[in-house]
Amino acid sequence: MKGIGKRVTVGFLSIVVLLLASGIISLFELSNLSNDTEVILSTSRRNLEIAKEMIKSAHEHSQAVLHYAIFNDLSKRDASRRALGDLEGALVKAKNEAADASRLDSLAAKILHLREVSQSYVVAEAAIPEQSVAIPEPSVLIEVNQSSDGKVWYDNNYKVVYEELMEEIQNFMTHTHTSLAPRAEQLNKNAYRSVAPVFISLVVVIAIVLMFYFFMRIYLVKPIVQTNRSLSDFLTYRLPFSVKAELLDELNELVDNIEKLIAIYKQNKA
Amino acid sequence: MRESVILRYIGAVMLCVSAFMAVSAVISYVNNVDSGFYPLLLSALLTFTLGAFPLLFVPRGKSISNKEGFAIVVGSWILATIVGMFPYLIWGGEFSLVNAWFESVSGFTATGATILNDIEALPQGLLFYRTSTNWLGGVGVVMFALVILPSLGTSRMSLSNVELSSLARDNYRYRTQVIVRILLVIYVGLTAITTLSLKFAGMRWFDALNHAMSACATAGFSTKNLSIAFYDNPTVELILAAAMLISSLHFGLIYATFLRKSNNIFRSEVVRTYMLIIAAATVFITVSLYGASIYTSLFEAFRHSYFQVVSLITTTGFSTADTNLWTPLAIVVLIFVSIVCACAGSTSGGMKVDRLLIFCKILWARIRHQQHPNAVIRIRVDGVVQDNEMLNNVVLFIVTYIALILVASFTNTLFGQDLMTAFSSAVACVGNIGPGFGEVGSMGNFAQIPSILKIQNSFLMLMGRLEIFGFIQLFFLKWWR
Repeated sequence: MKGIGKRVTVGFLSIVVLLLASGIISLFELSNLSNDTEVILSTSRRNLEIAKEMIKSAHEHSQAVLHYAIFNDLSKRDASRRALGDLEGALVKAKNEAADASRLDSLAAKILHLREVSQSYVVAEAAIPEQSVAIPEPSVLIEVNQSSDGKVWYDNNYKVVYEELMEEIQNFMTHTHTSLAPRAEQLNKNAYRSVAPVFISLVVVIAIVLMFYFFMRIYLVKPIVQTNRSLSDFLTYRLPFSVKAELLDELNELVDNIEKLIAIYKQNKA
Repeated sequence: MRESVILRYIGAVMLCVSAFMAVSAVISYVNNVDSGFYPLLLSALLTFTLGAFPLLFVPRGKSISNKEGFAIVVGSWILATIVGMFPYLIWGGEFSLVNAWFESVSGFTATGATILNDIEALPQGLLFYRTSTNWLGGVGVVMFALVILPSLGTSRMSLSNVELSSLARDNYRYRTQVIVRILLVIYVGLTAITTLSLKFAGMRWFDALNHAMSACATAGFSTKNLSIAFYDNPTVELILAAAMLISSLHFGLIYATFLRKSNNIFRSEVVRTYMLIIAAATVFITVSLYGASIYTSLFEAFRHSYFQVVSLITTTGFSTADTNLWTPLAIVVLIFVSIVCACAGSTSGGMKVDRLLIFCKILWARIRHQQHPNAVIRIRVDGVVQDNEMLNNVVLFIVTYIALILVASFTNTLFGQDLMTAFSSAVACVGNIGPGFGEVGSMGNFAQIPSILKIQNSFLMLMGRLEIFGFIQLFFLKWWR
């Protein structure tokens, strides 16, 4: 490339273009990260809501089972069925919204297990002739109508499955925090990396500005200073005109022209 | 020294690096714009601007002095490792500042040591970029600047002098322009042939290319966490071993062999010694492993033994087995070949067989001299008498090399590493090998070591690649005047 003007213009333009381009890419990257973070937050919030629904349904189911298995309160069977339905409904919602539905397979298995255990008790109980029992007041219920078979079943079978289910729901709640979206996952160790593109661009721009200064000094300032000094020496002391600096294009021409001028001056004087 | 001229040539090298970043970005783009695309694109842009800037100002066509050539090589390597960090840092994941620096240095020095626990988590573009740093480092980033820059005049020789081992220089009996062409043809040709062979052996195109690049650079970055053990394929191992072995020979000799010249591979004393070491090491390890019933069949013992020996002696570092589980004899032999390494004038790092051969000859000459005090004993390699300066340099280099390993082992143990890990990681980094033993074994990595040791090991890799004195010299201010 020839011409000081062109060099300086291209130098400045490259700094501007670099700043602009790196700024745009950095913004793009940051917006990607921002979107990912937003997705994670909303997914996390949604998962929490679903988990809350699940815990509520599971708790209701447990209460209902407790009433009909131990206290023979058969009116709670409907509530039990309703709660189980709600629990499965929440699971369907979770599956619909999950990026990877296969991760919910173990939760689904636990819910299915809970249904099977509950149904197995109902089937077993149906085999026994049903007694019509008036629903007693809760305060007297424990002492009066406690079924020892039901209690054993509840403790040995139902409670175990229920606790496993609760654990699985807890896993589901915390799962979103451990499986972040790919881009945001890169940030999980060092949050400062979100500004890495901007920081690196800045370092490179500083290096380029320093190089620009260095080249301007060597190829522009130094030759001009030397030319001026040599010209002054010639005019004052009649010392031969010579410039030792590295010259570029127009400066080279300038020095050549000064030398020609000096030669003409010497000829005229002679 | 003209700093502007140095900057111009370093700038040209940066353009090469940015070109590879751009190619990697294209791979990311083709791969459904994976997460490596923007980091690679931005890095390519930044590196390109950084490299192109000096080319704008500094006039071309100037010859350069040896000192300037030297500064260009070392400066290029250091700057390449710095800009090489950009894609890693921007991408994130396991790459902290120190980890990115380590990975970048390991790449450009063709070491192949990694801090990554999960290599397969990297997007394809970044995986390719990682291997391309190996490939660039293998032949020397500076050579690319020589190839792409027209009309350099005498500058070419100045650059190759530093890039190649001083021993290798003597073996080159061609004009420098021819040397550049020889290196390029052999390197690119070998990479292409290895890629095709690996593809036919059952690898995917992407993996075949990456492994071929890594093998020809004798570097060792793999696209799989288990390295070559992932494929469990004897054909793949054979192809890679052949590629590593050829790349670890003097490129000038390879060229001479193709041209059927007298100074070829089959007549070279150094190559004969090298092959002898490989054969002996393989036999020792095979017998040891089979004897200890680590492998039930003799073929399996041989298969893993020859691959690991070739992988370590060529300073590549690919692995097919967990060598930590091998017998103490096998480990000692592997450490020995890790110290000796391959031939000068190849892409390998380390002490070089040439030096070992000369050192043995010096020892033998000393013994003979004691028997015949008045005898004039000349030391020859391939019939060429070696002058005293060369002999002194060889001894000095070997002493410094061993001292450096011991000092590095000391600092490694200072920061809590066990003796095996400390010593083998020092050997692996100074020799640009990659894996060692213990925590940094063939199935391990450098992720768990303290950051300070990662920085130390990065400098060891740079020192090893620049043949120790080349790196040290840069820090003497007097030299710059």
